[in-house]
Amino acid sequence: MFKKWSLVLSLVLAVSLLVSACSGNNNGNNAPAANTGTNQEAGTEQTEAPAEAVEGGIGLIKASDPSKNQQIALDRTDTLIVGMTEPQGLFNPIFGQTVYDRYVYEIVFDSLVEYGLDASIENSLADSVTVSEDGLTYTYKIKEGVTYSDGTPVKASDYLFVMKLLHDPAYDGPSDIHSAHIVGGQEYYDGKSDTISGINIISDTEFSVTVSEYNALTPMSLGGVYLLPEHYYGAGYKHGDLQSIKALLDKPLGSGQYILTDYKPGQEVVFVANENYFKGAPKVPNLIYKVTSSVTDIAMLQSGETDMNDFTISADNVETLVELGYLDVNVHLNNGYGYVAFNMENPKFSDKKVRQALTYGLNRADVVEGIYGPYAEVINIPQSKESWSATTEGINTYDFDTEKAKALLDEAGWVVGSDGIREKDGVKLEINFSATADNPVIDALIPIMTLNYEELGVKLIAETLEFNAIMEKKDRGDYEMFFAAWGLTPDPDNTIFITGGAQNDFGYSNPRVDELMAAGKKEIDIEKRKPIYHEMYQLINDDAPFIFLYQRTNGTASNARVDNLIYSPYKYFSASLYQTTLQQ
Amino acid sequence: MKQYIIRRLLQMIPTLIGISIIIFTLSAIIPGDFITAQDNPNMTAERAAQLRAIYGLDKPNYERYFTWAGNMIQGNFGDSLMHKKPVTDVIGTYVWNSFLIAIFSLIISWTLAIFVGIFSAKFQYSLFDKLVTLLVFLLMSLPSFFIGLLLIKVLALDLGWFPVGGMSSAGFKGTTFQYYMDVLEHSILPITVLTMLSIGSLSRYFRTSMLEVIRQDYIRTARAKGLSERVVIFKHAFRNAMLPAITLLGFELPGLFGGAMILEQIFAWPGIGKVYLGSINMRDYPFMLGFTIFLAALTLIGNFIADLLYGLADPRIRLK
Repeated sequence: MFKKWSLVLSLVLAVSLLVSACSGNNNGNNAPAANTGTNQEAGTEQTEAPAEAVEGGIGLIKASDPSKNQQIALDRTDTLIVGMTEPQGLFNPIFGQTVYDRYVYEIVFDSLVEYGLDASIENSLADSVTVSEDGLTYTYKIKEGVTYSDGTPVKASDYLFVMKLLHDPAYDGPSDIHSAHIVGGQEYYDGKSDTISGINIISDTEFSVTVSEYNALTPMSLGGVYLLPEHYYGAGYKHGDLQSIKALLDKPLGSGQYILTDYKPGQEVVFVANENYFKGAPKVPNLIYKVTSSVTDIAMLQSGETDMNDFTISADNVETLVELGYLDVNVHLNNGYGYVAFNMENPKFSDKKVRQALTYGLNRADVVEGIYGPYAEVINIPQSKESWSATTEGINTYDFDTEKAKALLDEAGWVVGSDGIREKDGVKLEINFSATADNPVIDALIPIMTLNYEELGVKLIAETLEFNAIMEKKDRGDYEMFFAAWGLTPDPDNTIFITGGAQNDFGYSNPRVDELMAAGKKEIDIEKRKPIYHEMYQLINDDAPFIFLYQRTNGTASNARVDNLIYSPYKYFSASLYQTTLQQ
Repeated sequence: MKQYIIRRLLQMIPTLIGISIIIFTLSAIIPGDFITAQDNPNMTAERAAQLRAIYGLDKPNYERYFTWAGNMIQGNFGDSLMHKKPVTDVIGTYVWNSFLIAIFSLIISWTLAIFVGIFSAKFQYSLFDKLVTLLVFLLMSLPSFFIGLLLIKVLALDLGWFPVGGMSSAGFKGTTFQYYMDVLEHSILPITVLTMLSIGSLSRYFRTSMLEVIRQDYIRTARAKGLSERVVIFKHAFRNAMLPAITLLGFELPGLFGGAMILEQIFAWPGIGKVYLGSINMRDYPFMLGFTIFLAALTLIGNFIADLLYGLADPRIRLK
């Protein structure tokens, strides 16, 4: 369910670009940076598998000399301070939009089920989940004796309450519950019913949910919902009016690991441990989320003012942090990818051979090296290599090969004209490239691309535009080529590559891919889903609807005194904070 | 006088209406809206349409303008789409943090710039004048993020005199007075940078103004009648040299509340500038428009106050 982040992240990146000229940051994507939410199994654990990274690679580099640690950090024996970009103050799981808001609500609230490190589904508040024979009815039993932090018990009716909020016509948060097809949901939305008929409260701790159709995302759309106490949030709620809920955004109350005690917008969020947390009281009594900027994040880790912070990956930053000696530095793959899109409605790009030629003809390894150094990898399919759905079998790696590219263009009927530019039926192969302004990726990509394509007899004309302007051109189909990046959800299902899909503004269509995408979504068994997606990625790889560029990395540094920070691409550190410990 | 004030206030109304039309039109022309700016790979077309209907983005532009303007007249700025609370609340939350560094920086930079300006003018082409000119131009030409980073590196990290960033120590516990001292300590670096940036142009301005005045006949007369140099400069010359500065001061008013985008970003200062920039990137129309109107109104008021003060200070243009 909550798989939509990206909101303020793109903004934050934009802001950080303002100052990046000097600080040497280069975080290239204006497009969605993080996605969370949902999926089945996959992925490698990152903190737990201390793959000693060689200089300048991906992996964890342990602190080399913790004795150099700052006194100010060592003195803070009962408090953990996590630096981060500022949360928006939307501390409610149904409204939280950025990943930073999620870090807050994830430790204040609990969901029925959650993703484990490998994206398998694990019970959280739920004691048991039973699915009916036909796959349409889910029965949840809530763990006995769980209470909210004010002492009132967690009840089955709270689930119905949250579902009402999500189905409310005034609801403008990032979730889209309608895709879960809960029976009676539409009636509640339309105001024809004052309850949701598909949700049946059996007892105080047991209820069932019925859907009219199911797919692979159903277990998480239904069980991934965080429970809100109705007695606290429901007081002023009426159908069609969520103002009373919004008024409590910065005063959350849930059953989670920590209790929010103070929020200073733009500065910090302060928590104390919930001693009665049902998974066990957090080991660190006090927790503070401190707002840092792309300039102060590293400086504050260095001065000991914060214990943990994500940082922008660059050779300089990694080196600085590693050299301090008292920080554990983790370079881990970002769940997303950068790509160059073709407008396949345009006759220039409707031929697969042309797209393949432009992929072969671009020295992608050079481009990626130029942008991220060793901290990114060239990809060939639109999926993280850590996902269970990814495959390398039968995948063409499109290694840089100018001759092959030329041959493909010849085959496609584009022949070199008198001025050295290829042409076909009187049309010259000139490509208008819409480039995002102030983007380090573009700065590295354009020169190499221009040069590489010149050799092929293709002329590249770059125009620089603001990110939103390019996205609008994309929506209108008014472009030839542009660079952007997608964030990935844990589940491989998407609407980018299906014919007429909501996100398919590229004119890509392959009937077999459509079939496979539909089949994959309908299948619940992960082992059966794998071959479906493998075949789909092989087809997409061959069709080359995009020039797949890179999967970049994220960096997280933490003070050596902090142990048991547990996270993966599918589970944030915040979900396991109650297990985190401080060395005394 | 009263009549003049009323007339000026009334004149502001059509000006504000004009401004509101211009900024609304601009916001309608720029590509994208709050929904596309989220760039959510899973958003269905139906959900996007639902959201647009909730926000009223599905209505024609002229209708949106009248709804918005109508609400503004009643003092209702609407709810920020990003923050999910009233625009006025969001402004109220962040604007004072920006005001704090802006007002201190204003006082310090004006005081310093006035002295530097006077002495540079008095001792024109002296070594002092040349050194100050060099320094001032150096500061003016350095971008704020560079000075900011330099100060963080030297004063905060290497020497450890000041905190790196933020507005208060994490999880601060103590008396109110201690809290203010803590905030003050955090604000020194941002105030310093802001002052460094504005002092350059201000001191040049005062120097020029002063140079003009001390060449006037009445200054020669004052000297001729045997007044001490101190009285000549600070009483006769200074007051006249400061007259144009009143206009300048009027223009500073919106700056006090407008925030400093880059500076706030560098020092992780919880100011309004960052929030404003964010609202533009995210196409958070209610906040973006509301805050722009707020700044426009302040500019008009600043101008108006400057005109009034001008009349008070200079009998030659006193209004009837």
